[in-house]
Amino acid sequence: MKKVTIVFTISIIIAVLFILWGALAPNNLASVTGNIQTFLQTNFGWFYLLVASVILLLAIYLIFSKYGNIKLGRDDEKPEYDLISWFAMLFSAGMGIGIVFYGVAEPLQDYMAPPYGDPGTKQAANDAMRYSFLHWGLHPWGIYAVMALALAYFKFRKGAPGLISATFYPLLGDRVKGWIGNLIDIIAVFATIFGVATSLGLGAVQINGGLHFIFPTIPKTIVIQSIIIAIVTVLFILSSISGLGRGIKWLSNSNVIVAIILMLFLLFAGNTGFLLDYFTTTLGSYIQKLPEMSLNISPFDEQHSKWMQSWTLFYWAWWIAWAPFVGTFIARVSRGRTIREFIIGVLIVPTIFCTLWFSIFGGSGIYLERIMHVNLGDVINTKGIEVSLFAVLAHFPWSTFTSILAIILISTFFITSADSATFVLGMQTTNGSLNPPNITKIVWGILVSAAALVLLWSGGLTALQTASIIAAFPFAFILIFMMFSLIKSFKEEIKIRKRIERKTKQVQ
Amino acid sequence: MKLYQVRKGQFVYFNNELHKVYSVKPVYKQSIHLIKLKDLTQHLTTASKIELYKPKQLDSFIFNHKAYTLHQDKKAGEGDYILITNPSPDYLDHYSLHEIEIVSSVETKGVITTKFNGVKHSEYLLMVPGRENGSHPIDFLDKNITDSGLTSNDSDQPAKSTQGEMPNIGDVYKKRGGNHSIEAMVVAINGETVFLGNNLELSLNELNDSERWEFQYSLLED
Repeated sequence: MKKVTIVFTISIIIAVLFILWGALAPNNLASVTGNIQTFLQTNFGWFYLLVASVILLLAIYLIFSKYGNIKLGRDDEKPEYDLISWFAMLFSAGMGIGIVFYGVAEPLQDYMAPPYGDPGTKQAANDAMRYSFLHWGLHPWGIYAVMALALAYFKFRKGAPGLISATFYPLLGDRVKGWIGNLIDIIAVFATIFGVATSLGLGAVQINGGLHFIFPTIPKTIVIQSIIIAIVTVLFILSSISGLGRGIKWLSNSNVIVAIILMLFLLFAGNTGFLLDYFTTTLGSYIQKLPEMSLNISPFDEQHSKWMQSWTLFYWAWWIAWAPFVGTFIARVSRGRTIREFIIGVLIVPTIFCTLWFSIFGGSGIYLERIMHVNLGDVINTKGIEVSLFAVLAHFPWSTFTSILAIILISTFFITSADSATFVLGMQTTNGSLNPPNITKIVWGILVSAAALVLLWSGGLTALQTASIIAAFPFAFILIFMMFSLIKSFKEEIKIRKRIERKTKQVQ
Repeated sequence: MKLYQVRKGQFVYFNNELHKVYSVKPVYKQSIHLIKLKDLTQHLTTASKIELYKPKQLDSFIFNHKAYTLHQDKKAGEGDYILITNPSPDYLDHYSLHEIEIVSSVETKGVITTKFNGVKHSEYLLMVPGRENGSHPIDFLDKNITDSGLTSNDSDQPAKSTQGEMPNIGDVYKKRGGNHSIEAMVVAINGETVFLGNNLELSLNELNDSERWEFQYSLLED
């Protein structure tokens, strides 16, 4: 394998060591990572909050700044995809295991264990959805937008390879090709592995939860989850080596359609008016309270402080860990857009979709719980939050059918995101090649699945969250420097442009 | 053909000439949207009026006024045209059947096209310029009904096709590729011949080839 780089070798070694650790000493892994997590959460909570908010502010600033006119491509280039297909692709970037897992679970959990006040109150219902909007709204898309902007700008305008380290050229110069560039890429790979492993773990747990909910004879155990991970891993590895690229493409497109159908089904089969009221009301209060929610770490309010550590920090870390992966995709489809168009699109389109999704899924859950007095809390407390979606679907018509549809949806999301993640990992570890050798894809496929497995083995859902929080920490620093790198490059570009304009005027 | 057999990208014969399906719109009466490979003009028709053809090794045809021969075993080089016959796009790729793309760089496993697609060597046929001896011309379904020959017809390009893209005195062009960049201004136009600064003399077609010369700005415009 001529293309294999030092980044590949080192990150493989780290990943294998980690998996061996989890396989041989799961308890030790759980306690050590648990300690690191507690340390990061209690001492660096402010850091995650500030990083996420500053990135979002930068994104919003770029929309209005003079840099907004810079094109992600040559100056005369037209956008590669028309607006409608671009929106559709941004849409699909926002879809995945995450929203299926948390769509019902998060608002319902927040309602029953709220950030402020007593559970099950009117305030809890309002806060629950508002915080779901916070976690799935502008912040994650701000992080992805800036990451994708850096990748697209340096790739399409400066001709750099699609590597995270390549975006550091203005700061580091040719050193990006040396050890420091390699270190940056290894940290990015590390974040991607655990960000994706967290999703795959959630997927496996939820498939198991769904099967158990529909067929109570199937137990909810780590063994079943391992079998699920094994089956899906074999499926996607087979598909990627047999050159079924077309099949995977078809699968991921049809998946998005199935997800939207499921969403529309809940919207119209449920109390449509209530759900849309809930969406609109929360949208207003979300916009109104955005700055406070983004930065409030509540040094004097233990309830909220604890709550925020277990939810907001986890999400911010998870999004940071996902950024290289989603960013690569968004960058790829945005060639030829101006920075202004790009950021408006990436911030607004998926945010509207995600908030709508949470209003419909979570709103249906809260409607059943609060207005119809269905005791969903009991079901979730006894069977785990992974069954939330199925517990809600059970109260709608054709529930067995829709539940099975949901399980298929998660399984196919699992396959498509594992497939795309192995591609991105393969690319990041072969110097940005768009044709990574199959063997690297297989190796990454197995390692990511194995990482998900040992995490589940060592501590279930908590361990998955822990992994994201830790893996994102070093990458957060990379994001900070990336912002400086971008601004520096933009400034130089404007300077050159002004010089040219002056010259042309002189000639006239 | 039947409508359900028609897919985007297929090579088909329509009015005896080679076309490519670029879109299938089943709700319309004229449901098949075609592009004629010879001159890239668009045509609408129905499924019953077209006939499928699968291009293969050593087939030759005219694409955008230039003749090409398909080769399976020759490796592509930078700037070559490829015809993607066996698409298997990865996560970040956006291409489908029979797309014609230009190679921007060659890797061991495949090529990268100018549209940032990673295409493996097994997925495409190389389009070698020129009609090779022993190649199988596929431009016409029935060669006997054709009135024009099968020669590569760079020259039969309508002479006025470049109108509207006429350069003006004062336009600055930049040469693409090459070792060092050349930027030059149009100083004189004599019929089909354009004179640029630095003693460059080009034909109109050459200057309008956006692959080679890129318009920068005009000194005479405000």
